[in-house]
Amino acid sequence: MDALQYLENFLQSLVAGLLMGAMYGLMCVGLTIIFGVMRVINFAQGEFMMLGMYFAYFCFAWFGTYAFFGGLWFPFFLALLAGPAVFLVGVLLHRLLINAVTGRRGNKLEAQGHYAQLVLTLGVALVLQNGGLFLFGSSPVSVANELSYSAWEWGPVVGDRVSVFVNQAQTISALLALVVVIGFAMLMNKSRLGKSLRASADNPDAAIYMGINVDRAHRLAFGFGVGITAIGGGLLASNAPFQPYIGTEYVIIMYAGVVLGGLGSIRGAFLGGLSIGVLQQVSAIILPNQLQNTVIFICFLIIILFRPQGFFGNKDRTA
Amino acid sequence: MTKPVLLQLDNICAGYGEIDVLQDISIKLLEGELISVVGPNGAGKTTLFKTISGIVTPSSGQIHFRENDLLGVEASRRAHLGLAHVPEGRQVFPSLTILENLEMGAFAEKGRAEFKENLEKIISWFPVLGERREQLAGTLSGGEQQMLAIGRGLAASPDILMLDEPSMGLAPAIVDEIFERLIEIHRTSELSVILVEQRVAEALHFANRAYVLEAGKIILSGKPEELQNDDRIRQAYLGM
Amino acid sequence: MSSVRKDFLHIGLFGLVYMILALLVGNSYYLLIMTIVPVWAVMGLSWNLFSGYSGLVSFGHAAFFGLGAYLVALCMVVWDLNPWLTIMLATAVGGLSALLVGIPTFRLRGHYFALAMLAYPLALLYIFEWLGYQEVALPMKREMPVLYMQFENPVAYIALALALLLAALGITSILSHSRFGMSLLAIKLDEDAAEAAGINTLYWKLIAITISGALAGAAGGFYAVVLLVVTPLAVFGMLVSAQALIFAMFGGVGTLWGPVLGAFILVPLSELLYARYAADFPGIQGVIYGVAIIAVILFAPEGILWKVRSILKPGQFRMLGSTASITDLEADESLLAVSQSGAGEKILEVAGVSKAFGGLQATDQLSFAVKSGELLGIIGPNGAGKTTLFNLLNGFIKPDKGEITFQGQSLMKKRPNKICAMGIARTFQVAKPFTHLSVLDNVVIGAYVHTRSKEEASRHASAAIKLVGLENQCDLPGANLTNKELRLMELARALASLPKLILVDEILAGLDPDAMQEMLLVLEKVRKLGITIVIIEHSMQAMVKLVDRFIVLDHGALLAEGRPEEIVKNPQVIEAYLGKKWLEND
Repeated sequence: MDALQYLENFLQSLVAGLLMGAMYGLMCVGLTIIFGVMRVINFAQGEFMMLGMYFAYFCFAWFGTYAFFGGLWFPFFLALLAGPAVFLVGVLLHRLLINAVTGRRGNKLEAQGHYAQLVLTLGVALVLQNGGLFLFGSSPVSVANELSYSAWEWGPVVGDRVSVFVNQAQTISALLALVVVIGFAMLMNKSRLGKSLRASADNPDAAIYMGINVDRAHRLAFGFGVGITAIGGGLLASNAPFQPYIGTEYVIIMYAGVVLGGLGSIRGAFLGGLSIGVLQQVSAIILPNQLQNTVIFICFLIIILFRPQGFFGNKDRTA
Repeated sequence: MTKPVLLQLDNICAGYGEIDVLQDISIKLLEGELISVVGPNGAGKTTLFKTISGIVTPSSGQIHFRENDLLGVEASRRAHLGLAHVPEGRQVFPSLTILENLEMGAFAEKGRAEFKENLEKIISWFPVLGERREQLAGTLSGGEQQMLAIGRGLAASPDILMLDEPSMGLAPAIVDEIFERLIEIHRTSELSVILVEQRVAEALHFANRAYVLEAGKIILSGKPEELQNDDRIRQAYLGM
Repeated sequence: MSSVRKDFLHIGLFGLVYMILALLVGNSYYLLIMTIVPVWAVMGLSWNLFSGYSGLVSFGHAAFFGLGAYLVALCMVVWDLNPWLTIMLATAVGGLSALLVGIPTFRLRGHYFALAMLAYPLALLYIFEWLGYQEVALPMKREMPVLYMQFENPVAYIALALALLLAALGITSILSHSRFGMSLLAIKLDEDAAEAAGINTLYWKLIAITISGALAGAAGGFYAVVLLVVTPLAVFGMLVSAQALIFAMFGGVGTLWGPVLGAFILVPLSELLYARYAADFPGIQGVIYGVAIIAVILFAPEGILWKVRSILKPGQFRMLGSTASITDLEADESLLAVSQSGAGEKILEVAGVSKAFGGLQATDQLSFAVKSGELLGIIGPNGAGKTTLFNLLNGFIKPDKGEITFQGQSLMKKRPNKICAMGIARTFQVAKPFTHLSVLDNVVIGAYVHTRSKEEASRHASAAIKLVGLENQCDLPGANLTNKELRLMELARALASLPKLILVDEILAGLDPDAMQEMLLVLEKVRKLGITIVIIEHSMQAMVKLVDRFIVLDHGALLAEGRPEEIVKNPQVIEAYLGKKWLEND
């Protein structure tokens, strides 16, 4: 391979990384909002992503043929719809389970109480992924359509040989991810609801003094968090096949992004997810495929051990 | 002319876990009054406020706010009834701007309805809050944060303002300024105030009535002039 | 009979019963389950030994388990090494890898620690896949089956699994009743207080994770022998770490038998249901484990052993630790005395110390010295920086500028436990009792700084308890004390470390006048032992008669310094305390 070919590979990976990274970034935003507001590490976040994927898959299988938008655009619409659907699941789950061990109640639990929410979400993850196996089956499925296999050619960029192929489905997904993130950031920054969630995150006691129902704020934050990650899952679903266990590897990818960006910051989480996407794709040029995720995990360990506050953390604008 | 009772605590015992920090506390606040609760560290002043706000649940006793039985009201609903708690150590929302902090102060219905007028008033009392309204509260100095915390309380258009040690950790000049403002606000708006303070002189000087809290019990109460001459106060603080 | 001997009797009986049961069961499937269950019980014990006792939750025990399993499998495939040898090797590798994981990861606490631990086994999982070990099958060794642990009689496997379990139980019992167990419990209940009481928290955590990793490595190695096939997902997968955690938390965290109970209930349950319903419901095992852990967290957060105990003995407080009783009530208080030879010389010197938090200058160019044997009062209004000063002195935080020396040695680079060992003990403004330990155990923890012997520690603790007058409360749990008793207990814990200098933080706050008098008498006794005392107080009352000298802080800086009678007349001090208005009125 000559230098130009390396360049082409690199550009190709970079573009793919940015597109994948935008989707990871979206999922990271979902995770970080839960941590930011509730100080809860949600182990089951990957499983909510999985739920978003299967939501898109089943809706597509059932209604795909009648789709108003036609088969091409319908998967993306369903991905967005996965948000509200999983939001409801999250709100329900928070009311039934999570609420019992977080916030002020969690503080009352003795000794291990500190970890009660961590272990509880681990239990939820186990039930969801294994229950998923029962409900959805173990064979990989996908919501791929023509767009998933089509690409725009960009170039030639350098000389007459180096051109980059941009996957169409990924591009649409990445743009949608960006729109959702910006929309959500505006909700958090501009609306009264968003401000009250941030106030609850900053100081739950003081938020109560203001008349904010902190339990409700937590419930909404949990719903938003899992809903947003589910949209990310729905968008990824048109990309690659998946099965019910897919959550486990993605939960680390998400945490890597979130920790990279500084726990609790929306902007940081998105940039962190974006960086992880790029890292994953670019490392694939020199490393074997199986080690892609290992690179991410090792990266994650290095970040968390040496710079746990992250790199993109914008201390003053946390949510 | 007797003013109506606004807030009344009867025989409150409260604390954390099994041990009561507050023992048999009875306190009364009349409409338009400013009362002070003074006492050394660890006497239970902050616990008293947390009990009124609903963060701490008393083991016995009653609290009435106007005709409402306050203990039957969930903590986050109490602000909606007209209680504004300016907590110890300010506790502003650091990642929100000044303006956003004030908006959160006006979270309950009444404050929201009157936010525009209140904002103007707050800014006229504490001009620095107006000048820096887009600045994040976490980057303010201690004195500015205290002003913001008070402004945030006022933004609720409350019936009662509960001030927990507004002088804590602040330089004397700033404390003087804050107290001056508080008195101005109390006089012009006829706002009812409960002030918890360790700076006895100011706390007594401005109050209509005062209570002395020690080791969880009210050991003295009455008019400031009477208390000022009581040796027990001087002794409690200076040991002389 | 000592607690350890009692445990060993139970362990022996348990082993006997289990062996008899194994001999009675004929069904080979049940025999397989009876082999697997002890292996998972060992994993539960391994997790418990570290996380259950230290309170740091590990989601990564699969790393040690998987390394053990692959080591045994690969050594047999590649070098023909027998499992008797390689399981021992797996134990060593498990321990070593845990130590290597622990060294960097203990920089983290809480959530970050849990997250980091999750990444190790998953990284290993992909590495082993990449190395091409998707499925390593152990070769059949028909000519020397016993050497390669390939027995015809399934009961032999059970015997080996049981032996492993009994060893794990024995190790847990011995450790939990030693200084090790006490130190880890202290870390779990309050890591800061533990460090301040002289416990080298890093050291004990490393020991714990090493032993825990060794047990997991052994369990993994034996697992390979029993199942004959090792795959990355089966040994490094999330479910392995989760199972270890779930068995321990389900049965009872921080107990000897809890993890065993958890494994003995959940493993057969999930195996039997899996055998029956796997075709229709392939993920049933995971669902059972998930539901089990959710139910435990919601209804019995410390596990069913503790829950059963609280139902059988309602109202009884849950106690951990050795709950030893006072061994030596005749313990002489003079044990705690400090030689008076250097009295009057500088013992502690603070020079130009500054510390800022964000924009707040908590300590500002502070300089002062403490003389040996004196009782120095540090006073100042709320927010004056008093507690920050103590945190600087005992090493919780490091100054931005300046120098602190104790008996000529710099404290700047020392961890709190080291500073405690040098002879500076402290109490806390908000008392930090080890809530689930008895008063005596609370104090014994402080005494371990200067001795390894349980007897000597207990003697020093007894002397300290006697000095503060808590003899009658010494069997009560830390959580059930009154405010006054808590403060006395903290003082005793500090004294038990045989300090030369003791930092006392607002010990009078919130006490009624009688209790205050009692406390002052105790402080007077402490002073008579020759121990230098630095005491923070908010109010000057009572202190005036007690102290030799006052230092007054305001806004982190020195406002005044001098004899009590001078200080109470100082107008600056009066203003800082009572406000300008007070001076105007006079």
